[in-house]
Amino acid sequence: MSEVISTSKLSKRYGSTYSVQDMNLTVREGDIYGFLGPNGAGKSTTLKMILGLAKPTEGKVKVFGKDFAEERRQILDQTGSLIESPSYYGHLTGLENMRVVQRLRRVPDNNVTEALKIVRLDKHKDKKAGQYSLGMKQRLGIAMALVSWPKLLVLDEPTNGLDPAGIGEIRELIKSLPERFGMTVLLSSHLLAEIEQIATSVGIIHQGKLLFQGSMEELQRRSYPMIMIKTADNSRAQRFLAAEGYSPQLFEDRIAFAGLGDEEAAAVNRRLVAANIDVLRIEEHKKNLEHIFLELTGKERSL
Amino acid sequence: MLKQTLSAEWLKLRRLRIWIVLLALPVASVLIGSANYAMNQGVLQKEWYSLWTQVGLFYSEFFFPVLIAICCAALCRLEHMNKNWNMIMTAPVSVASIYYAKMVICAVLLLLVQFFFFLLYIAAGHLLGLPAQFSSEVIGWMVRGWIASLSIAALQFSLSLVIRSFALPIGIGLCAAFAGLGMYVAKLGMFFPHSLLSIGMGVLGQGGLSPHQQFIWVLMNLLYFIILSIYSIRRMSQRDVIA
Repeated sequence: MSEVISTSKLSKRYGSTYSVQDMNLTVREGDIYGFLGPNGAGKSTTLKMILGLAKPTEGKVKVFGKDFAEERRQILDQTGSLIESPSYYGHLTGLENMRVVQRLRRVPDNNVTEALKIVRLDKHKDKKAGQYSLGMKQRLGIAMALVSWPKLLVLDEPTNGLDPAGIGEIRELIKSLPERFGMTVLLSSHLLAEIEQIATSVGIIHQGKLLFQGSMEELQRRSYPMIMIKTADNSRAQRFLAAEGYSPQLFEDRIAFAGLGDEEAAAVNRRLVAANIDVLRIEEHKKNLEHIFLELTGKERSL
Repeated sequence: MLKQTLSAEWLKLRRLRIWIVLLALPVASVLIGSANYAMNQGVLQKEWYSLWTQVGLFYSEFFFPVLIAICCAALCRLEHMNKNWNMIMTAPVSVASIYYAKMVICAVLLLLVQFFFFLLYIAAGHLLGLPAQFSSEVIGWMVRGWIASLSIAALQFSLSLVIRSFALPIGIGLCAAFAGLGMYVAKLGMFFPHSLLSIGMGVLGQGGLSPHQQFIWVLMNLLYFIILSIYSIRRMSQRDVIA
């Protein structure tokens, strides 16, 4: 798969602090690349540099293998984007807003109708955008990004302001784009769950630096399973098993084992039963991505 | 490419209430100027020309520069609001074409304003009982006023494209209008956009311009327009977009 976006040593400095530092981002064709990080980590700044809205202090951006500085227009012609929050002219209707983009991008009428339909704004197209709800503005923004059926779609926090049903809908839409239209999607979010559900590749950014980049599977492989056993008497079970050479840990109302294989799990069960300790539950717990994320960013901080 | 940005820009004018300002300010100039003329007919005896000095004075020294400033500020405000710079600066068009689209729209609006002002002047003259025939010089003043208004527009755009406030560039424009009057009085009128407007509309000086002066006048307008436009476009392309 060819690289749609590649940045090398991309950095942005405001004053003396780096908002983005030495970012080597690679987005491959057909990817849904989830750009994950806490608020203020530098996600929007990175996306803005990819789109030429912000000028890098150092480093380079290549989109479709072309140098951004030299082929800005050709790149933008095949790129749709929604950055920060949706753009709209409040005094114009939804449809008129779409017409503005249509004229700038020279796309046929059909695209406008189709894009409005796809975000389900077709019934509200004659209402002034200024009177739209936050969710409708977000949909309009997505329609504007989609209207030229670009090869690359860059979406900054696309589900902002949408209600739960809307989030699900937009998520399904984004997921379908690579297959239906051959698009590559780069989207940012501060919500791990969202990235987990949409993305095929992940980049984790924290304090301007890329801490992890790889496929979703790679990230998930970092999670190792824990075997949790609930017994009628956990503390006795723990003492007993520790004496038997295991290293169980008390964890809430269960005892937990790290890296326990199937056979070992069965052996532990047999021993507990033989020792007359009733086994109530045996469960496998995967360490969730949240833990991995917190491990990577090194801090127990809210996303 | 200019066709793309221009047609997009044209669409944005829909339902904008800028028309009110574009119509109201020329009316105000003509009303005040005509009242002044009517009350001072004893000293103002040159009929159409005298009326012009009154009406044109208020218009070119105050109302028209403010109108230009408002027009430019309004066209930029469209983009400053609701993150529209993000959208327009990621469209596959050159930055220059975005700038010139705004400039062309502004120029067309100012031409209409100028024509409207001309009609008002003629109407006022007839209402004041002036003879049917007015001096054809007026047409030249109108056209030159329009040309000078583009230099002022280039100046106002250089402010409004960067300053997110709607009012601040208009305030600066107003100060510049007064400064222009000072420059005119100090015989430095050829070197300042606002005094180029005063000279072009012939409201302060009695005699016309010599061919040599006319040449300098056109050249200075061209210079202002080109330098300020290049400055604005460079700034737009080189600075980070703050939406």
